[in-house]
Amino acid sequence: MKDKTVHPGETGIPPEAKRVLEKIETKKAKYKKQMSIAFVVLALFSVTFLIALGLDFKFMVKWLPFILAGSGYTFLVAFLAISLACFLAVAGALGRLSKNPVFNSIATSYVSLIRGTPLLVQVYMWYLALPQVGGALEAFGIPGVQRLFTLPAIPAGILALGVCYGAYMTETVRAGIQSITIGQTEAAKALGMTTTQTMKRVVFPQALRVIIPPVSNEFIAMIKDSSLVSLMGVWELSYRAIKVGRRHFQSLEMLIMVALIYWLMCSLLQFAQEKIEKRMARGDRRIS
Amino acid sequence: MRENPNPMVKINNVHKIFGKTLHVLRGIDLEVNKGEVVVILGASGSGKSTLLRCINFLEEPTAGTIEVDNIVINAGESDKKRENQILEIRKKTGMCFQAFNLFPHMTALENIIEGPTTVLGQEKTQAILYAEELLDWVGLTDKRDEHPSRLSGGQQQRVAIARSLAMKPKVMLFDEPTSALDPELVGEVVDVMERLAKEGMTIIAVTHEIHFARDVADRVLIMDEGVWLEEGTPEVIFNNPKEQRTRQFLAHIL
Repeated sequence: MKDKTVHPGETGIPPEAKRVLEKIETKKAKYKKQMSIAFVVLALFSVTFLIALGLDFKFMVKWLPFILAGSGYTFLVAFLAISLACFLAVAGALGRLSKNPVFNSIATSYVSLIRGTPLLVQVYMWYLALPQVGGALEAFGIPGVQRLFTLPAIPAGILALGVCYGAYMTETVRAGIQSITIGQTEAAKALGMTTTQTMKRVVFPQALRVIIPPVSNEFIAMIKDSSLVSLMGVWELSYRAIKVGRRHFQSLEMLIMVALIYWLMCSLLQFAQEKIEKRMARGDRRIS
Repeated sequence: MRENPNPMVKINNVHKIFGKTLHVLRGIDLEVNKGEVVVILGASGSGKSTLLRCINFLEEPTAGTIEVDNIVINAGESDKKRENQILEIRKKTGMCFQAFNLFPHMTALENIIEGPTTVLGQEKTQAILYAEELLDWVGLTDKRDEHPSRLSGGQQQRVAIARSLAMKPKVMLFDEPTSALDPELVGEVVDVMERLAKEGMTIIAVTHEIHFARDVADRVLIMDEGVWLEEGTPEVIFNNPKEQRTRQFLAHIL
């Protein structure tokens, strides 16, 4: 061996160890490079395939603005519904963990009922069946309920999605809260914090970090499920694409386009999720 | 310090029963004077930690009376007034846990100011000034902005002590504060506890740290199956215990 090794007690990394470290580095770099190549090849292959199919790109470009105009509805519905869902999820989780029998039973029934019925049925329930409930109530002598309960398509969609996702997220939030060790609660209590203060300052901030990934999942699913409001005739993304595609017998072009738009939207959300997770990971043993 | 006839903590006939039958504390009495340092020893499962946790109501005693700095609470009641009294007792008692239980999402400094700002409603700037003093006192000024995951066990426990002290407690409860530490880290925590005792803090400690018990404690009590087996000055307990069981126990830990 040419290189002089480092003897015990001397400072410095011995050359044989350095060679191993270098090998590990090259291996990592090689893996990264191969991954990028694989993705590029996959993308090229997909594009070639689409061209080979004889896609009418001119047609796609022509209708793009019209389809994109629907994304406003998608965003509006998804954003408001997820806000409602977050609120319901926190309230529901506190109810599920509450020792108060009234709150607990309401929260438990809410989760069970909503998770146990199809979203499609719930959407129609809010849109088509609720006015009937209003009518019945009006017959009991409460004036004006029927009109109040007859919802336009978009509010009905937001309520349906928000209430449904709220039920799933209730369980996510509950699990997140329960994942925080009892020692944290005890330390907070020993300082003299009330139950509310303990929740707000100690348990919830830590639970949040746990529930961000599953809640992001729900967020992404919600973006796509927002297309259900098209059932009520709202001209959102997928509704426009399907309409245009059918009329011109070019469904493939339209569906591929709308799929790409959804993908892009969800990728943006995923990007935001990763950023938030990184921020929340401060103080985490596994990262730092 | 025992000549001061002013009990800071008074425990009267406390029982604790877990579930329906697990009788852990069987009628415990204890008076601790202002400035007194009391060490509780006993085999694991004898009820030491449970007693300590009954003092600040992390465990609800099943029967008996707890008094801390003239706030008296009886077991077995529950109303709004009592809830507030429990909060008052917790403000007056600091507690250090075996597992430190620092808040991992906060820096050392944030951990320390959390009690004063959230519970006592202090101004943040004022709380920070005192927190920095405390960090200096436990020798961790340079760790001010580190999260607990970046601190060693001994450093974490010292921050935890500072966090308790930030509330300016009248009594400090130590629940096996060094049991989770590597041997070489025990000293720095015991050192802080000793200095705290020298400054006149009333301390009730459950610990197996014999040095602390022998050199710092005014009184040592031995618990056995939920009752006091023996109590006395460290000299008497360690050199000349009356009870055979005390001798057996000490033989295990010395």
